[in-house]
Amino acid sequence: MDVREKLNILSAAAKYDVSCTSSGSRRSAPPRGLGDACPAGICHTWSSDGRCISLLKVLLSNACKYDCAYCANRRSNDIPRATFTPKEVIDLTLEFYRRNYIEGLFLSSAVVGSPDYTMELLVKVAKELRTVHRFGGYIHLKSIPGASEKLLYEAGLYADRTSVNIEVPSERSLTYLAPDKNYASVYAPMNYFAERKIEYGGSRGRYTPNFLPAGQSTQMIVGASGESDFQILTLSAGFYKQQRLKRVYFSGYVPVNADKRLPAITTKPPLLREHRLYQADWLMRFYNFEYNEILDEKNPNLDLYLDPKAGWALRHLELFPIDIQTADYEMLLRVPGIGVKSAKLIVSGRRYCKVRLENLKKMGVVLKRAKYFIYHPDIPASLRRLYPEMIRPLLLPRPKSGQLDLFDSNPIALPSPTIAMAPAMPTIAPAPAMPALPIAV
Amino acid sequence: MSICISYDSSFNGFLSAVFEIYSQHLDVENFIPDRDTDAPADLFLQFFRVETSEDSAMRLRRAIVNQASEDVLNLLETAFLSEERGIEMKVLAYLRKLFAGDDPNYGKNPASLEMLPLYKIAGSVRHEAGNMLGMVRFSKGPGNFYIAKIEPKYDILLMMESHFRNRFAFEKWIIYDSKRKYALLHDRVGESKVVTLPGEESFVKAIQSDGFTQLWQDYYKSIAIKERENPKLLKRCLPVRYWKNLPERQAARTPAL
Repeated sequence: MDVREKLNILSAAAKYDVSCTSSGSRRSAPPRGLGDACPAGICHTWSSDGRCISLLKVLLSNACKYDCAYCANRRSNDIPRATFTPKEVIDLTLEFYRRNYIEGLFLSSAVVGSPDYTMELLVKVAKELRTVHRFGGYIHLKSIPGASEKLLYEAGLYADRTSVNIEVPSERSLTYLAPDKNYASVYAPMNYFAERKIEYGGSRGRYTPNFLPAGQSTQMIVGASGESDFQILTLSAGFYKQQRLKRVYFSGYVPVNADKRLPAITTKPPLLREHRLYQADWLMRFYNFEYNEILDEKNPNLDLYLDPKAGWALRHLELFPIDIQTADYEMLLRVPGIGVKSAKLIVSGRRYCKVRLENLKKMGVVLKRAKYFIYHPDIPASLRRLYPEMIRPLLLPRPKSGQLDLFDSNPIALPSPTIAMAPAMPTIAPAPAMPALPIAV
Repeated sequence: MSICISYDSSFNGFLSAVFEIYSQHLDVENFIPDRDTDAPADLFLQFFRVETSEDSAMRLRRAIVNQASEDVLNLLETAFLSEERGIEMKVLAYLRKLFAGDDPNYGKNPASLEMLPLYKIAGSVRHEAGNMLGMVRFSKGPGNFYIAKIEPKYDILLMMESHFRNRFAFEKWIIYDSKRKYALLHDRVGESKVVTLPGEESFVKAIQSDGFTQLWQDYYKSIAIKERENPKLLKRCLPVRYWKNLPERQAARTPAL
């Protein structure tokens, strides 16, 4: 099997990993070496599904010994198997890098033999890239659950970021779908890295290793098991707080296997739900929201039609309208239609002059949403007196009214009188009889 | 009669023109840079040529830094690189307000009416410069030179210089802006220079795909998830105007035989 065939198999096998970021690490080119890392991260291209490609994302091998229900590479699937030699991966990485195709390497692997053996191979590639080839680009290594701490430590020395995927957002479902895995084995490497990061993160001396500069990330599948959005957000908030993860990714479940434990193979990936979860994730990371503000036990799922920030604002109309001339930055961030950039512009601009409505538009504030929540002399006061039930339909995107087609095969039927009449004559429920007041005579 | 200033399309040229406007009290209606050869002619304007003077440009630069800040000067220059028609008048409007001295804090206000459009334009120039860092595609040419051709909307080649100089310090490379007909050449450590190419056609011909280009195209195809295909999102992230210099998109565009 030649490299081309292997690359086709092993990159297709890696495509369900969402993470492809190259941010968070500042690495200058090593002496007489090749490449550096830019802290903002650089996207090199976008694939036809609209996802950014910045790393060469491949598996070292897809010959897995586990049998997880949701995974395309599970043992019981009859698919072509391939394994790269470390040299092949290194050559590909360096040559792609020199042509500026990629920002670095994302190396993952199916579990071959034992977790330790697999992890050793991954570390070997990273080590050789860094020490022999003096590669200064970005390296993302997957940490294999169950690998020994010595190997994890070495991975932290050479990689910029590691990740281990939690995949299923509750332990009960995980052991049901992936009998070989449990939460403890997934949390172990995560906690190990988090502890080492704290250990080396304080005062940096000359001999302090530059340990895992870009931190860790994880990923969970959305829609494969029955967890609610609230459970998912609770879990990810915990990751951000306790394991200090940089990112938690959500991947809408794409059915790859026909398995009776999973949704039918014909289900469409829940892309809208995934999008709303990312919006909620952004609220937690950049807008100072707590997970239990976005959702709670009473509303366990995100509104698919309305973004989570607008949803929160409608539940808390008592806090609005706010005066943009005086409201503090944290409150500005919570107004639907105002983002981080425009909130910063408002705060720094209003020191010098009143912020006018036309300026707000030029700053990029979406007045269509914001006008119900801010106080401004140019906004009609009647908008601020609306009830949440009245604002909600105004925030929803309007259905597109396409031009009618003259030759349409199924023309829009005129509303039949019975349908047309229906809303006009609502059936009035008989009013409950007023209890007679006992009048004392 | 209002006048229309023609200058050599550089930022220093523009600053020299502004300097002349102030020293001669000119009533300016429009600017025409030299690169803009098919600018609409205006019968009612008088042409006025300003030669670039490094000295007056320096003086004006210093004045902007004193009156506003280094960042503002940087922002004006970045916005100017957009090469949009009429950008000069927008910058001039800002400078007029800045030097009028009505408001001592005007230079610090990023949300003033004259600053906001410049802020947006500079933002999109920086955005393209940042994006282009990833979208330069080198191919291996003769003499171990890595060569690339780009066609950015804005004049951003020099904004990318330090990035590539640090990253590929020990490689030899050329990046050619085929729209503005100049290139950035790096053949020695720590040094890169702006050059014009003697033969454009032979340069473009030297850009050829090799085995790794093929592997890259394969990789690009197999990393996409078919069930999630989203052409609208793709075009928003990666506008079609960049596709012709990206080997992975070219392979996607040519129909399968």
